[in-house]
Amino acid sequence: MPRVKRGVMTHKRHKNIIKQASGYFGGKKNLFKTANEAVARSGNYAYRDRRNKKRDFRRLWITRISAACRNGGTTYSAFIAALGAANISLDRKVLSDMAISDPNGFTALLQQVGLSPTTA
Amino acid sequence: MKTYSAKPADIVRDWVVIDAAGQPVGRLAVEVAKILRGKHKPIFTPHMDTGDHVIIINAERAIYTGNNKAEEPIYRHTLYPGGIRQIPRGELLTSRPDYAILRTVKGMLPHNSLGAKMLKKLRVYRGSTHPHEAQIKGAQAARAAAAAAGKATE
Repeated sequence: MPRVKRGVMTHKRHKNIIKQASGYFGGKKNLFKTANEAVARSGNYAYRDRRNKKRDFRRLWITRISAACRNGGTTYSAFIAALGAANISLDRKVLSDMAISDPNGFTALLQQVGLSPTTA
Repeated sequence: MKTYSAKPADIVRDWVVIDAAGQPVGRLAVEVAKILRGKHKPIFTPHMDTGDHVIIINAERAIYTGNNKAEEPIYRHTLYPGGIRQIPRGELLTSRPDYAILRTVKGMLPHNSLGAKMLKKLRVYRGSTHPHEAQIKGAQAARAAAAAAGKATE
């Protein structure tokens, strides 16, 4: 049985962690112990924020739709209620994109659900 | 489909003139902060400054309503020991109305470098005139030109 020195694996493991921590601030990119903690934490944040991303975007879409609704003389709340009543199942992502890339279409939609915009 | 994110070239800045005469300072500042931040535009993007420029005139005629808002103290520090100074909001509004309004709006913007950039688009003036007629006309001309160019390409 050949002799196994542990330094080789340790060095390999350390190298991997330090590589993942490249670009971090201060000691976090150079010191193994600090880098190890930072890499573990970054993984936790990444996992959590992949879930939070869905909420963040929904909030952004709502903000944009709200702005477009107010330009059309109504409010977000009234608009969403009217969409439900008219049985239109466009989601907020599509609606916010419409408000930006197709303002005339958005105005037409406001008219279709019975919210008359002030000026076209 | 990817959610749209405003690029610097997509941002068209307008100039908005707001008359503060008879307006409560806080309610005025809420609306101003929204415009500076760009939350009134469908292209609003949190990490970009999509807002318009705002000019407030008649700053000295803004008011505080209610019983004690005007008595609420505002603090600053001279950086010497014991150097804390305080004056009531009402007195600040009388002595330096432009600063009082600017300060209120500042508190309603994001407290970071982007917020500082947004605040630079706000100009507050005493009296009913302001020196930015040329900028307002320039923005209108740019908008007209952009509209004409848009029609030409369609």
